Amino acid sequence: MSADSTQAGSSPLQRVMETREVELNMGPQHPATHGVYRALVKLDGERVEALESIIGYLHRGLEKWVEYRTWGQATPIFDRLDYVGAILNCHGYVGAVEKLLGVEVPKKAQYIRVVLDELQRLANHLLWLGTHALDVGAQSMLFYGIREREPILDLFEAMLGQRLLQNAYPIGGVRFDFPKGWVPVCRRLLDELPKKVDDYEGLLTGNRIWVQRTKGVGVISAKDAIALSLSGPTLRGSGVNFDVRKAMPYSSYGDFEFEIPLGTNGDVFDRYLCRVREMRQSIRIIKQALDGMPEGELKGKVSKIIRPPVGEAYYTVEAAKGQLGYYIVSDGGEKPWRVHVKSPSFVNLQGIETMCRGGLIADVVAVIGSLDIVLGEVDR
Amino acid sequence: MADETKTPGIPETPEPAAKPEASAAPASGEKPAAAAKPAAPAAPKPPAGPKKWEPTGEIAENVPTQALKARFPEVLGVKSPCGEATLLLPKARLIEALTFLRDDGACAMDYLSDMTAAHYPVNDKKFEVVYHCYSLEKKHSLRVKVQLDDGEACPTATAVWPGADWMEREAHDMFGVVFEGHPNLKVILLPDDFEGHPLRKEFPLGGAQEAMIRTNRYGKPVLLPDDLEEARKALKEPRNVR
Repeated sequence: MSADSTQAGSSPLQRVMETREVELNMGPQHPATHGVYRALVKLDGERVEALESIIGYLHRGLEKWVEYRTWGQATPIFDRLDYVGAILNCHGYVGAVEKLLGVEVPKKAQYIRVVLDELQRLANHLLWLGTHALDVGAQSMLFYGIREREPILDLFEAMLGQRLLQNAYPIGGVRFDFPKGWVPVCRRLLDELPKKVDDYEGLLTGNRIWVQRTKGVGVISAKDAIALSLSGPTLRGSGVNFDVRKAMPYSSYGDFEFEIPLGTNGDVFDRYLCRVREMRQSIRIIKQALDGMPEGELKGKVSKIIRPPVGEAYYTVEAAKGQLGYYIVSDGGEKPWRVHVKSPSFVNLQGIETMCRGGLIADVVAVIGSLDIVLGEVDR
Repeated sequence: MADETKTPGIPETPEPAAKPEASAAPASGEKPAAAAKPAAPAAPKPPAGPKKWEPTGEIAENVPTQALKARFPEVLGVKSPCGEATLLLPKARLIEALTFLRDDGACAMDYLSDMTAAHYPVNDKKFEVVYHCYSLEKKHSLRVKVQLDDGEACPTATAVWPGADWMEREAHDMFGVVFEGHPNLKVILLPDDFEGHPLRKEFPLGGAQEAMIRTNRYGKPVLLPDDLEEARKALKEPRNVR
């Protein structure tokens, strides 16, 4: 105070009218930060001058932990990274180990994986849509999002026994075939869901308040987005066509016809549109996979004790948040020597400073929502 | 627990201890004879010390590896069991090579997919910093590595790919690798006052500050399976492992 008063002169009016930079902590207990994320924001009035991300509140040392477990015991641990998209995490890890082992996953298992992956992506995007809309002020969207996510979780429960942290895939394939009556229920859901997505778009896409809150907010150019290694809808919102499912097809994604929705401006609205349109594509992929489901084995030839050859592998999948990569190193033993997770949330969060600088404090919330971060994956 | 049989293949101190496990794991393993050629002659000399971490497989080639080898003759190919193009770069020319990878028309590796480090206590150079680059346009990928001694600094790649910022901070947290020239090299995932670098192999799973032996809520000692030997010694009187 004393330093300010010397600068601003002595008159009380001057003291009232002066402006100065304010440092504001958002989080780690802020409801709109989607977890224990803390943003240290420097404000000039309502303008964001600088934003520093402070993370690590949820660091559990999972990469260390798996070094003390066998290769097979590590699969459930990685479900805990992105706990609303657990199947995709599991897929990335088992895919990496299969790559190092040289195991060929049977076609049927690959198709089942595609179905479950895309259902998980739908569940993730529905929850994201609800919470993101809630952050921006559209409360009813949350109820719809949760309502539609519920039957998907029920499908997981019916097939895998769990709703959220399913431990879906063992190394080498899948555990179960679809149970009796599962596929018709799934198909019915897929028939209903596009109408629901239309409803959401009707609620939000043309909504004036929504457009005002999101268009031109949190802009990041394609060049910056690539330089910052962003991925997933966050990158595609800026118009960069990079989707691991197309660029490096894994698990038979090459067999299916689907499009990659792209944005143009790289703002919150485009990222929102990308995700919503991705939901339609996911539905399309699941239908194709169910139609073309091949017959065959559920699991490739994997010995009970898994000892990958000495060496390293890097395997990436398109998780709900973006490119999820696993870098695994084996010393030929039963336990991983090193597992590193390139988590999309962690890397995407780097872009938040570029997106928020110069914007309003209220838009920080919209930007965090549009990044679709899960702090379990950011901090690992 | 099953972990009892094999204390993790981690030498507590790099040189003298834990040699048997480190050498036994790769040599006696069920490795099919295909890739075991270098390991077979190494097997009959037990006192030679721990076996160094040496990947198996073939050296893979693609466009960027050839371009990089043509430009930098000191670049070495690294074997990969699953056919991933991997190169070992000299530290002195790392940034030059990474910039070349990004800017060269044939390589065009504009996207840093991942960057991390790994610890190999038995190797001559104990740390490896690993970059996974990808070209959005050409759709090829390359793994680039640089080897470091303990305490040796690595030049920062943030000038090449700004996205390396947080990844380098994470590697600094976890391994203590210093990235020279990094604009903001401070802790990111760990608490500010954390001591040690948790992903180094000598760092105990339970944490440096934690005692080897914990007590449960009834006051009975609970042994962590990984520190079993240590814990037994400390306990004098072995008890049941929960």
